[in-house]
Amino acid sequence: MSAPSDVATPTTPATGAARRRSRLARGALAAAAIAYVALLLLLPLIGIVTKAFEPGVSIIGDTLSRPEVRHAFLLTGIITVITVAVTTFFGLVVAWVLVRQRFLGRALMNAVVDLPFALSPVTVGLAAVLLFGTGGWFTDFVAARGIQVLFALPSMVLVTIFICIPFTIREVVPVLEEFGLDEEDASRTLGASIWQTFRRVTLPNIRWALLYGVALSTARAIGEIGAVLIVSGTISGKTETATIYIFSALEERLEAQAHVVALVLAAVSIVLLVGIEWLHRRNELERSRT
Amino acid sequence: MSDAAQTVSGRSTARWAPHRTAAALRHLGLRGAAIVYLGAMVAVPVAAIVSSGFGDGLTSFRTALAIPYAWTAIRLTLITAAAATVINAVMGTLLAWVLVRYRFPGRRVLSSMVDLPMAIPTLVTGLMILTLYGPNAPIGKFLDRFGIQVAFTWVGILLALCVVTLPLVVRQVQPVLLELDPAEEEAAATLGAGAWLSFRKVVLPAVRPAIVGGALLTFARCIGEFGSVVLVSGNIAGKTLTAPVFIYQLANQFRPAEAAAIATLMFTISFVLVLVTARVTRRVEV
Amino acid sequence: MSLRTNPIRWATLALVPILALSACGSGTADGATTCDGLPDQPTISFAAYSTPREAYGKIISAFKSSWKDEHDGQEVIFQESYDGSTLQASRVVSGYEADVVALSLGPDVDQIADAGLITHDWTTEADGGMVTTSVVVFDVRPGNPLGITDWNDLTKPGVEVLTPDPASSGGARWNLVSAWGSALRGYGGATKDDEAGATTLMQGVLGNVLAYDSSARKSIQNFEDGNGDVAITYENEVLTAQAAGKEDEAVYPPSSVLIENPVTVVDTNVDKHCVREVAEAFVEYLHGDEAKQIFADAGYRSTDLATAQKGGGDFPAIEDLWDVDEFGGWDALTGKLFGDTGIVTQAQTG
Repeated sequence: MSAPSDVATPTTPATGAARRRSRLARGALAAAAIAYVALLLLLPLIGIVTKAFEPGVSIIGDTLSRPEVRHAFLLTGIITVITVAVTTFFGLVVAWVLVRQRFLGRALMNAVVDLPFALSPVTVGLAAVLLFGTGGWFTDFVAARGIQVLFALPSMVLVTIFICIPFTIREVVPVLEEFGLDEEDASRTLGASIWQTFRRVTLPNIRWALLYGVALSTARAIGEIGAVLIVSGTISGKTETATIYIFSALEERLEAQAHVVALVLAAVSIVLLVGIEWLHRRNELERSRT
Repeated sequence: MSDAAQTVSGRSTARWAPHRTAAALRHLGLRGAAIVYLGAMVAVPVAAIVSSGFGDGLTSFRTALAIPYAWTAIRLTLITAAAATVINAVMGTLLAWVLVRYRFPGRRVLSSMVDLPMAIPTLVTGLMILTLYGPNAPIGKFLDRFGIQVAFTWVGILLALCVVTLPLVVRQVQPVLLELDPAEEEAAATLGAGAWLSFRKVVLPAVRPAIVGGALLTFARCIGEFGSVVLVSGNIAGKTLTAPVFIYQLANQFRPAEAAAIATLMFTISFVLVLVTARVTRRVEV
Repeated sequence: MSLRTNPIRWATLALVPILALSACGSGTADGATTCDGLPDQPTISFAAYSTPREAYGKIISAFKSSWKDEHDGQEVIFQESYDGSTLQASRVVSGYEADVVALSLGPDVDQIADAGLITHDWTTEADGGMVTTSVVVFDVRPGNPLGITDWNDLTKPGVEVLTPDPASSGGARWNLVSAWGSALRGYGGATKDDEAGATTLMQGVLGNVLAYDSSARKSIQNFEDGNGDVAITYENEVLTAQAAGKEDEAVYPPSSVLIENPVTVVDTNVDKHCVREVAEAFVEYLHGDEAKQIFADAGYRSTDLATAQKGGGDFPAIEDLWDVDEFGGWDALTGKLFGDTGIVTQAQTG
């Protein structure tokens, strides 16, 4: 079976008049689709670019030179890196266990993986408050060790990890299911160790799915607002991520700065999107090969 | 985007019978790591929410719902989510159809744009909408002349939800449309069926599970949406305050038990939906 | 088994530094119980209520330069956060290690003191611990189309009122105390000392509230977004908005409570972070002339009651200015208005 093309040929009607009607109908449908996307996405994107540059190009330099803005981007970066590292690593472990092992409770584990998608991010932040706030389950435990969780980096990382858990797992599991068992068996029979098999046989198989999951997690971690807003305390220069900075700047009536930071995030997302699209296509291509 | 949550198929079985203790330990070690990871990172927080919300029976739940605008917030959330779901079910299917069946310049760009809401922060989406449809913005001012206000009304909420969930139905339906054998539609055309009839009787039944799956995902996503809605809606209790923003306010005010009660209600709804989606979209795969 | 062939060890070993990194990244000093003088670059964690961010932005810059000059170029870092006063107090109690708190009203500072984090009597500091004062005003649309002059105008049918939520915002409590007190003093269309009449007035106003935002700043911004007919807020908020080019217009009810905003050092945290010297210097600076000038320019009145009432410049004279002690202080007022059976609580949940 050849790789699927991403356009299927439409059926052509018989008579000339019918063809004209069909062309009109097709044109109208395409126009409606394009108009919908334009209204919802394209125009607002243009709007934000315009609004950001309203005070002049110098606003970019002004905003990006502010220490609190720089710290916000840095913080977003740190949280994202830690989150993606943890969720990718352990995501692989979980995916492996789900696909290659059979045990009682496997279906439950599978369901638990989906839980983060069912929760609103604010609920995740709330959970952190319940666990580490006044009278929380772990409050005394961390206080005794002098670790600050809430209103500091650890809680922000923890909530972002929670939210990003499903991405890697959901992308890798189908690929692991479809491929590789025979190859892995062969490799083991030939004397390779578990680790060698994983590195040389499994990893190349799931490579694109894994990267796709990483890209999705990255985008999600960068964009997180609801949960981090609750746990961070919005301390400028300490616990403000880029998204939280936008939120705070609007409150400070620094609309121009808020728009610049939003624009930067939008630009980063678009770059990520290109990567996501490309990886998605590679992933689909790999999955459709026999 | 790949398919929704998958139940692990029965096809891949662990065929290595661990005949050595070391191998068995490795297996268990990995399983233990997975259990600890998911247990600590997912199960514990969710348990905290449920136990806080319903730890003392229904008291917190009743107190939370007794707050005058709590029910209104929940109702508003469910209604706007349902509306956005219907809109995106229709437009999503349309978009998938156009992207799959038609060739036109800019098709690739359109396809990528559809995925944009997955990559862009929801807060930025909200800001984008305000920038264009806000009270002092171009389109906003234009619509104001006709008495239509977008920002700080349910219209804005609906718009935000539609933008944010745009890709969900499209990405469920697209692969199904690609797999569809054009022979059936050609047969229908030969028999004299018009395009619409052919679509209704041949295509729709085939994509319906995908649409339903996408719709359920959309709904679940909508009832938890925060970033875009908090900027666009104005959060006016009783009018434009949604459940997620309400939970945020309660959590922020250190009223965790009440927040947890509402949160548990909302996430039970979405969790059930996500599980059902898994069933439904599995049937799509052949 | 070597690392190469055992990924489980890998996993465990990889996890440790990641967790350790997270825990260490909290930015606070290691739990040293004795301080050896200040750190090289002292960091002050500053928690304030939502409205004075512009004023403190300037004051903090001025303080930093002044400290730098006096201390051999030593840089002090400030990490500021602004939000509803009660929210900030709750956060400090919950673990937000603020070194200096600048809140909207005394009870919020007391909340932190009751949790054992403030161990000195802050009310014995200069100016009774207060750094700024203000009055309650009505923020109206340009030209005051509804002709609002006093509290009873807010009870009229169809008038949409904005005020923050007393559970999270200090400004909200000032607003409502002012309404209550003004009525009892015979203003706002009420009769002097008539509690029943005052209660009716409060219920009338609260019945017209369109939205309770979580902080004073959020409330006024909600108003600026076009929602509501009138926002009850601090005088300094309207002046700040006007300075930012917004169309806010203040109407001064004849009677107002004297809003007094406290600032103090949080003992447990300054000692933990070893920054007491800087923190106390900062609080002292706030009572100094430079800071007073910046506050005045930012729309805050003087801590001296007579001066505050007289006004001058941008500040109109207030006909009847009184403080919370007229009604038994915050303890009595909180019980009467905001307790479980309080008038406001009843009206909000009714």
